Amino acid sequence: MTTQEHEPLSMTGGGVEASEEEPSPSLVELIGAEVVGLVRVGFELYSLFVRTLYYCVRGRREPGAVMRQMFEIGNRSVFFLTVVMGFIGMILVLQGGLQVKRILPDFSRVGATFLDMLVRDLAASIGSLMLATRVGAGIAAEIGSMVVTEQIDALRMSAADPIDYLIKPRFIASLVMTTCLVVWSAAVATLTGMLTAYVTFDVNPRTFFNLVMVNEGDLITGLAKCLAYGAAIPIIAGHSGLMTHGGSEGVGWATTRAVINGSLAVILLDLVISTAGYLVFGP
Amino acid sequence: MTSAASNAPAGTERPASQGRKRPPLHGPPPHEPGLLQEIGGGFLGISSSLGAMGILGYQIGRRLLSLDFDRGELLKNLYKMGVKSVPIVIITALFTGAIVVIQAAPLVVQLGAHGLLGWGAGFSILREIAPLLTALMINGRVGANNTAELGTMVVTEQIDALRVLAIDPVSFLIAPRFLAMVITLFLSTIFADALALLGAAYGGFALLNVDPKTFYNSLTGSDLLGVADVTSGLVKSIVFGAVMGLSSCQYGLDVKGGAPGVGRAVNATVVASAAGIFVLDYFVSFTLD
Repeated sequence: MTTQEHEPLSMTGGGVEASEEEPSPSLVELIGAEVVGLVRVGFELYSLFVRTLYYCVRGRREPGAVMRQMFEIGNRSVFFLTVVMGFIGMILVLQGGLQVKRILPDFSRVGATFLDMLVRDLAASIGSLMLATRVGAGIAAEIGSMVVTEQIDALRMSAADPIDYLIKPRFIASLVMTTCLVVWSAAVATLTGMLTAYVTFDVNPRTFFNLVMVNEGDLITGLAKCLAYGAAIPIIAGHSGLMTHGGSEGVGWATTRAVINGSLAVILLDLVISTAGYLVFGP
Repeated sequence: MTSAASNAPAGTERPASQGRKRPPLHGPPPHEPGLLQEIGGGFLGISSSLGAMGILGYQIGRRLLSLDFDRGELLKNLYKMGVKSVPIVIITALFTGAIVVIQAAPLVVQLGAHGLLGWGAGFSILREIAPLLTALMINGRVGANNTAELGTMVVTEQIDALRVLAIDPVSFLIAPRFLAMVITLFLSTIFADALALLGAAYGGFALLNVDPKTFYNSLTGSDLLGVADVTSGLVKSIVFGAVMGLSSCQYGLDVKGGAPGVGRAVNATVVASAAGIFVLDYFVSFTLD
């Protein structure tokens, strides 16, 4: 849809000369087209988000669909997230310990700093990057296949809005399940980090599990991130799924776009919420 | 095929030819696979994909060592994977640099260690964050795309057509992609290292009022940070590139069943590469320390 609407825009703007320049557009033109495309996608995402919220309040009540999506998004991601976050805990403690080793003689602060970082940022952000990959790709592939096989048109023809039927249950499920999965992955990362600290640096688990540096500001920032990521991932993936066109290659493209845009959204929201958290709650 | 099957009168040999229905083996057919069965099935699935990747890796390695691969395809893929990913790498690296500083900020303020910010951010960026996040982003863009492309070729029987023309698909399609992915990731990581440090320097200036010059001095001046830290990150990037290349090619060649099959394969490859990246990250960090 984005590319289709590009054509008339550049034609009316450039006239005859533009069509001669077509093979090699200038850098400014490329950047401009990119920006216009980005703004348009931003508006589409916003409109999709608002309509999803509307249907959450006024739409049909279907707990069955939401539960099914919760299983799909939540339970099926547990194994993947456990493996990844387990290794993340080990990596972070290992690197943190190596870093500390260069300036300080003792490792007693490693655990406290690690837990602080984990609660404030890393559990939510890395966990959600992984969810953007797994859940986002899954949603985009599923909805994209539906678009390609014209099931979405069939839904529209029977007067059912695909947003109400398809996006809304995934949105609610993701909102709930991202928070649960992040809490679980924080626990896993803490456990493996504790083990690594004990085995590699000889830090007593009792010393490691030190929550002195975690305050309510950290907790609020972390939970706000969970909610923001949980809302952003299904919207972005659903958008790129609904925009699919052109057979099996189109489904592949939609999936790629969902993963990329989801991950970028997580990083962008991380920057925004972290800055806001730092400014509101202070150091 | 489905319409033909549904047109047939009910009660003929539909269940046998359909394949969707589980054929009854010995004893009563299990309606729900048990937990043990699911775990075992998952384990077998992982093992078989790992084995297939190993075989594919061996085939690619043989082609690469004997320089038996298509140069034109390599250049084309380098452009498609590397040059086209530059915007994403730039955005990711700048933002993650700033995020690292924000996360370190409370610690820096509490300890009053403004002079060590450059070292602290540089250590984590060069060794861990830049290679890891670049790999994750390129995995989403290039790995997924590669699988989709190869999967579409498999579904439309283009790979078989290559074989019919006596062109080896591994040396024509797979080996150039693998090599292009490793090179792309290596170069992008160098690029991302520099940009993430830039983002961190200006993030520190905006948030903590640490002069970029102080940042740069603490990054390069002390003995705390050496070339070994940079090479550690770069070694990781090569390993990540190999993992992504192998898994995306393997899952792409393994696609079955039209457009939904391509979607499933893309999903599987992105997940498998991400898990592989994190697992190998630990082992590389552990062996290189």
